[in-house]
Amino acid sequence: MMEITKQIKDIARQLFEEKKIDLFLAWEKSDFDFQSMPFFARGVEDVDKIIFDEFSIHNLSNALLRFRDGKERIGIVVKGCDSRGIVRLLEDHQFTRDRLHIVGVCCPGMKDPLKAFRNESGFEKNIDTDLSADKCKDCIQPNPVIYDVLLGEEQPVPLQGERFLKVKEMEALTPDEKYKFWEDTLSTCIRCYACRQACVACNCRTCIFDESRPQWVGRESEVSDNMMYHIIRAFHMTGRCIECGECERVCPVNIPLMLLNQKLIKDVDNYFGPFDAGLKYEEGAKPPLSKYRENDPDDFL
Amino acid sequence: MEKVIAALNQDYDVYVPMQRAAQTGFFSYRTYNEDFDDIMLDILNVYLPPKDIVFPQTEKMYSFKEEGQQVLIDKVFEESEPKIIFGLRSCDLKAIDYLDELFFTKSYEDDYYRARRDNTIMVVNACYNPGSSCFCDSMGVSPNAPENADVLIHDVGEGDFAWEAKSEKGEKITGLISDLLIDQEVTLPTLKKFRREVEYEGVAEKLKDMFDHPMWEDLSYPCHNCGICTYMCPTCYCFDIQVKTSGDEGYRFRCWDSCMYREYSQMAGGHNPRELATERFRNRFLHKLQFFPERYGEPLCTGCGRCIVVCPAGVSIVKIIDRIKEAEI
Amino acid sequence: MTDCNCENPLVPMTVEVIDIVDETPDVKTFYVRSENGVPFNVMPGQLAMVSHIPVGEGMFSVSWQEEDEHLQFAIKRVGLLTDYLHTIDIGQTLGVRGPYGNGFPVEECKGKDMLFIGGGIGLAPLRSFIKYCFKHREDYGRITIICGSRSYDDLCFKDELFEKWPAMKDTEVYVTIDNEEENWSGHVGFVPSYLQELNPDPQGLVAVTCGPPIMIKFVLEALEKMGFSDEQVITTLEARMKCGIGKCGRCNIGSEYICLDGPVFDLAQLKKLPPEW
Repeated sequence: MMEITKQIKDIARQLFEEKKIDLFLAWEKSDFDFQSMPFFARGVEDVDKIIFDEFSIHNLSNALLRFRDGKERIGIVVKGCDSRGIVRLLEDHQFTRDRLHIVGVCCPGMKDPLKAFRNESGFEKNIDTDLSADKCKDCIQPNPVIYDVLLGEEQPVPLQGERFLKVKEMEALTPDEKYKFWEDTLSTCIRCYACRQACVACNCRTCIFDESRPQWVGRESEVSDNMMYHIIRAFHMTGRCIECGECERVCPVNIPLMLLNQKLIKDVDNYFGPFDAGLKYEEGAKPPLSKYRENDPDDFL
Repeated sequence: MEKVIAALNQDYDVYVPMQRAAQTGFFSYRTYNEDFDDIMLDILNVYLPPKDIVFPQTEKMYSFKEEGQQVLIDKVFEESEPKIIFGLRSCDLKAIDYLDELFFTKSYEDDYYRARRDNTIMVVNACYNPGSSCFCDSMGVSPNAPENADVLIHDVGEGDFAWEAKSEKGEKITGLISDLLIDQEVTLPTLKKFRREVEYEGVAEKLKDMFDHPMWEDLSYPCHNCGICTYMCPTCYCFDIQVKTSGDEGYRFRCWDSCMYREYSQMAGGHNPRELATERFRNRFLHKLQFFPERYGEPLCTGCGRCIVVCPAGVSIVKIIDRIKEAEI
Repeated sequence: MTDCNCENPLVPMTVEVIDIVDETPDVKTFYVRSENGVPFNVMPGQLAMVSHIPVGEGMFSVSWQEEDEHLQFAIKRVGLLTDYLHTIDIGQTLGVRGPYGNGFPVEECKGKDMLFIGGGIGLAPLRSFIKYCFKHREDYGRITIICGSRSYDDLCFKDELFEKWPAMKDTEVYVTIDNEEENWSGHVGFVPSYLQELNPDPQGLVAVTCGPPIMIKFVLEALEKMGFSDEQVITTLEARMKCGIGKCGRCNIGSEYICLDGPVFDLAQLKKLPPEW
């Protein structure tokens, strides 16, 4: 990783010196060993702070949304999942390719600073000695799919065994059991909207949950409103979720959001696929639910 | 200790720190399920702050009925069931003190909060082992000798606790468990050293001239504006008021809100004084470190460290205070 | 029947709409009264939270209190609540709670000449002060009213602007609209530039302004350029409000809350606060 850090710094320095970018999105070290923070370098003088290590878990493509209306040219470091996020933004017309200089890094799997912090904080009894991020265990694309320069060795796919195993286990339960599971877990949701903010596919200018005419879902954090929130959000992600897993990682009450998202990914793959979102950027491509074909499957209706 | 809680539970709804599934927070002992939950009085602190008990995430305000052109307001929900928050830490107690300042002073008293708060008794668990993200000391909170506790308990080891009634309310509940208490001398543990310190002195003054300082933009870059800090913070209190209707009936309720969202200050005509994420970020920290102290005399941060632990992007109020101190104006 | 606990500052009182006046295509003035006449007494410039109870609440300035008879609210249709309000009929129950805010400094301004500068619906809060001055005419000096709007149709309180107020003693009214129009022979131009054309002498004058935030900003700049001191200039601001009692946090400008410490601020106070409104 030290080698990659050096390479990234060299690239950033060169891009700034050649005035090819206005901003470079990467990471810097926090004052905790187990935490790296998103860092936006604005010039050559900031380049020395850049690092890339096993705690660089954040999906920086989400940060691009902040600049979607501007004209800045942006250099960005992306791992496999993050690069799928960039494809998502390009497909959704939230960003243009010519503004980006993408430094892809083949990802060996990340460690979760939130886990580490929780262990360290004293707020947790169940210490998890395995700091590797849960989301990385299900990864199907560790190598960037879009880049201007690629660093690191190509990595093998971390997913062991069957894909969608947890989804299949859930599908095997009875409807009552499934409902109880979701009722129990979604009643703990405090409606902090962190999942929405952390998600790169959630890029509507006015989110449906902020509309007032009409107000689609009430703001109370009670189980039926919470269910509506999560179901609607999952459906808006259908065919668009790039499986970066940030939503589940940031959730302060540990709701298994990726389980819900993966169910929909499995269904889209099954009915409209084979398909996985964001694996390849093609000009004019649309997610499966954004285009209508007469022979679209409808036996689930 | 469970005997004590069970005894108090007869007359009061006792909220204890528990691990329930993947969460830790203060849950009612009446919902305690031995098979799934774990009562944790020896943990440093829990994630979900106890403000929920006196200031719930969602709270009904009043209900109404429509009859043609008439609308009748029928019930006002001022709930005041007797409660005990058992085992909260000094940082969380101080946070509730700040909420008291807010809801009880400055021209208006919030009756919903008053109803809940008056009937809630605080049993504080004195803290002797500050954690890696704790800095309550620097924010004017004493971890082992807090003000305004109704009862102070100390973990003296081997499952034993020392119990000190500190107020009238405290004496009252001490009476309820007097047969479980033994009057004896105890040696209290010593307070360990803090691993995090920050110098808050002078920050509120300095911030008066720092509204336009360029450091806010840099500091706000990692922030997702996700709102987790505001929900986990024991002192954050911003709320929204909305309505729920079902046919001709309905109720108005209030719920937690966050200054991090764009809609927080969005006006109907389209104008938004804090359109940009950086402006909202800056507003949050100015509120905590300058505006609240200007109005109420103390910073709106008790050093519990939760925001530092849960922030997905590593934003830390301690680092921000350090940056403010170093900043050149 | 209704017997709500109105001691609770977040619970409204119910009032009945007794009249609705169409001022412009998107502004209506609602006249409301409660069982006992007015639900509460207001001073000019104070606010009240008006609700169509099943829909929502919104903070509005009270455009006028007619003795113990009724309260008047001039409300522009801009969003969810105001849309609903514009569809109701006379006889509808609304909720009202208040009065909130500090109101205009009617006592301190006695003996002074008054200059009112209003834009669009911003004339509504100023109207309460203007009518107060007219009610106590001898207590105030010369009164000058400058008012502007997008078009003739968008001017509020037309009968007062064109007939009642110019007829008052020692009172001048200047009206402008943004663009030329057929059948309009009056001034054409934005309020801040009209103000500078009229160039009133700051001596002994108190300037009170209200309008869209951008207009207020330009007017404040213009007044400063014309030599008005910070204490001579007063404005009334607005923000998104929910509680109205300084607790929910959102209407803050720095450490001041518009609902509690405002909405009326003088320029000296505003300069000490962050420019975030």
